[in-house]
Amino acid sequence: MTSPIAPAATASHRQSPPALTAERPVAWPKRTVRMLPNGLQVVLAESRTFPRISAHLYFRSGNAVVAHRSPGLAEMTATVVRTGTASRPSRRIEEDLRRMGAGLGTQAGADASSISAAGLAEFSGGILELIADLARNASFPEDEFERERRQRYEELRIERTTPGFLASERLRRVLFGPHPYAIVAPTEEQVAAYERGQLVEYYRHHYVPADALLIVVGDFAADAMLGQIEKIFGDWKAPQPEPTRSPAPPKPAGRRVHLVRMPGNVQTQVLVGNLAITRRDPDWYRMVLANSIYGGAFHSRLVLNIREQKGYTYSPRSSINALRQYGYFTVSAAVRNDVVAATLTEMFYEMDRMRSVPVTDEELDSARSYLTGVFSLGVATQEGLLNQLSTVYLDHLPEGYLESYREHIRELTAEDVLTAARSHFDSANAQIVVVGDREQISEQAALFGPVTEYDAQGNVVFPPPRDVMQA
Amino acid sequence: MNPSPKKLHIPVEHTTLANGLRVVASPDRSAPVVTVGVYYQIGFRLEPQGRSGFAHLFEHMMFQGSENAGKMEHIRLINSSGGLLNGTTNYDVTNYFEAVPSNALERVLWLEADRMRALKVDDENLRNQRDVVKEEVRVNVMNQPYGGFPWLDLPPVAFRNWPNAHNFYGDFADLDAATLADVQSFFHTYYAPNNAVLLMLGDFDPGEAFSLAKRYFEDIPRGAAPPRADVSEPLQDEERRGEVEERLGPLPAIAIGYTLPVRGTDEWFAFGILDRVLHGGRAGRVYRRLVLEKEIAVDADGHAEILDTNGPTQMVTRIFHKPEFTSDQAIAVYDEVIREVQEQGIPLDEIEPVKVKFRSDFYSTLEGGMGSYMPRFGLMHYLACFTLFDGDPDRVNNVLDDFLAVTPQQAQAAARKYLVPQNRAVLVRRPVNLGGAE
Repeated sequence: MTSPIAPAATASHRQSPPALTAERPVAWPKRTVRMLPNGLQVVLAESRTFPRISAHLYFRSGNAVVAHRSPGLAEMTATVVRTGTASRPSRRIEEDLRRMGAGLGTQAGADASSISAAGLAEFSGGILELIADLARNASFPEDEFERERRQRYEELRIERTTPGFLASERLRRVLFGPHPYAIVAPTEEQVAAYERGQLVEYYRHHYVPADALLIVVGDFAADAMLGQIEKIFGDWKAPQPEPTRSPAPPKPAGRRVHLVRMPGNVQTQVLVGNLAITRRDPDWYRMVLANSIYGGAFHSRLVLNIREQKGYTYSPRSSINALRQYGYFTVSAAVRNDVVAATLTEMFYEMDRMRSVPVTDEELDSARSYLTGVFSLGVATQEGLLNQLSTVYLDHLPEGYLESYREHIRELTAEDVLTAARSHFDSANAQIVVVGDREQISEQAALFGPVTEYDAQGNVVFPPPRDVMQA
Repeated sequence: MNPSPKKLHIPVEHTTLANGLRVVASPDRSAPVVTVGVYYQIGFRLEPQGRSGFAHLFEHMMFQGSENAGKMEHIRLINSSGGLLNGTTNYDVTNYFEAVPSNALERVLWLEADRMRALKVDDENLRNQRDVVKEEVRVNVMNQPYGGFPWLDLPPVAFRNWPNAHNFYGDFADLDAATLADVQSFFHTYYAPNNAVLLMLGDFDPGEAFSLAKRYFEDIPRGAAPPRADVSEPLQDEERRGEVEERLGPLPAIAIGYTLPVRGTDEWFAFGILDRVLHGGRAGRVYRRLVLEKEIAVDADGHAEILDTNGPTQMVTRIFHKPEFTSDQAIAVYDEVIREVQEQGIPLDEIEPVKVKFRSDFYSTLEGGMGSYMPRFGLMHYLACFTLFDGDPDRVNNVLDDFLAVTPQQAQAAARKYLVPQNRAVLVRRPVNLGGAE
């Protein structure tokens, strides 16, 4: 390889970073959106560098619609969906996947269930047929169900020894109270009580084309792909499920501390959170920017403060978590046991600073560039593009959401950031969860509000249960 | 066989600068983003004896400031250009990488050149990052169920030579003993341009990119050839076993590792395929037998770190089994799976689909990696490894052929020769508390 001779950088070139060159526009992948007569929405985006496709079929219902009667049932259903159809036993499904160079995932969260597969583009027809077979003809073999149920039980036992899991489980409980979003996982007893018939019933009601969404990204021509999809999914018909109504989360009522006991832990998981907004809220972009400056990026105030200046933690971050009906804001860090109070002090100090003092122009510019640039990175791979498209279409965001995102961010001001922080960084009502060794951390935690202590199963162990309502 | 699959060709151009820095470029103008990496041929396997964890602690120091970019400047410059950055310490390499909109390419090169030229850090930075690294070890290992299983547990059982067998994350006493002088000496020993490769992928004109690389990197002085640790292992003559306490998790976990054939040999390629016959989720023989058929385990899978290591490495199976069975019972079932491969071989109608999946996974790895925000991370990683370990970045375009050419006979022969007790190590994580946390 030869290259043109360029002069070596002079000493002055070395001292300051070069300016950015002219920006190249993002060339949006060719996108096709269709609604099939049976209600299935189809979104196709060509991304042809690698000879693969990725296809995700989503149903817009998940654990939230069954939380009041059987927590985690949608997730269990999704797990068992992949274990057999009327014409394909489990082993055949796995062999078919291999033959097509494909991987398969079936899962359910609070608001959606999905069947997704990615594999070689040359087998795209077979991959889509397999997804359709699982969506329409799953057979829920009794033995597969029993085995998966036992696995879920064992997974749960492991999750309940994982500080990060216990922290988010507790926070969701206290933020959402009677709302189904309060429950992130079933108990062992609830898993033991699942019956095959419940899974079949959930599947029959919720795995239907009406209100479903199929996104395919990858190496294909959209016209041919659309024809293939119409052939495979066009004759699928089923009634749409009745919408469900859920009780509202509790109103904020002051800061409280929730300590989950893990005796002997050498580190404390700290998680602070409050109810915030969804992507459909007019404050959404403001909140994205405020979060980015506060703790959503490496170069953010929280990371600079408690990691790079104080060395309390490896992994501090803040996030905005947008579920379909409600969103919440979180701040987290795993810290050494003797700095729990110091960490909480800094987290709240930085929240309150965001609420009271406008961010600097330098921070504003930097954060806007960060968000617009990272957004471009996020759509540059098949999986990334698919994730972004699923956010837009699952939440029924405006059609131009992706294309206009960067413009929306660029228009924001320091005033916008202040507005968002004042409305949605609710430091006065934030709920504080700490997971760790109570001997080492309870006095520190008590400085920030009344403390309730729980065991890893979620039972209140202090104050004595007669005094408190379990959320 | 499948009808003429589409053959992927990745554009690869490369050169070596006067100071010995290798430069590899792979243009792709489909999206206005570039990924840049600098890989140094020093990993935790190669760190000095008695300095466990130093290669990783040092990686953190590379973000603490260089000649013209002080602490937090690296991070600020990349984030405010719309990009992301990170670094990782591996067995045989340490990498630093950025993904940015393509208008920041020159800025990224400036930054990487600045920290290749001179590290400017003080005692306060070292104290700070030592604290950060300790919390990293706590959050990833000491305070997690199965933390460090088996990547930290198995090597001390499997290997006898310190470079392969020590605690890669580092004993806290060793981390505490590290001084600023150690940091500078490590930098001067291993972070020379002639011990590194620069990679640029994405939206640029290769001629311009090479000339920018020259402009910023070529006058960084070449260093003395770094010492190479002897990573060879003494001959193993019997199975090795170890047991470690699991403080949090409720299930017994077993790791079984077999040391792989030498990189680039026919037997090594055979292991790439054999690994996918045995492992790979529900389709793999190990999961099918232990989880689906015998129902002795709740999870069983594994992986051979085949392309990105350059020294003694194992194919490792991880088994989480039900507490009502003994670990020996689980191992006995696993041994049946191995024996069947050795005695009956692998039918053509199993090995051919495995190869299709291998090809598909290879493409998938090239495209992404490190989440969805680091385009072509996998391609960058493989280009770096092929450059540093094999001297041929273009290997990325033909290495697949060698894996796909493996015959059932070769796979069976490799299984007979390598899947034997005197080439394996078994590590059990034994829960102290079958009921889990309080």
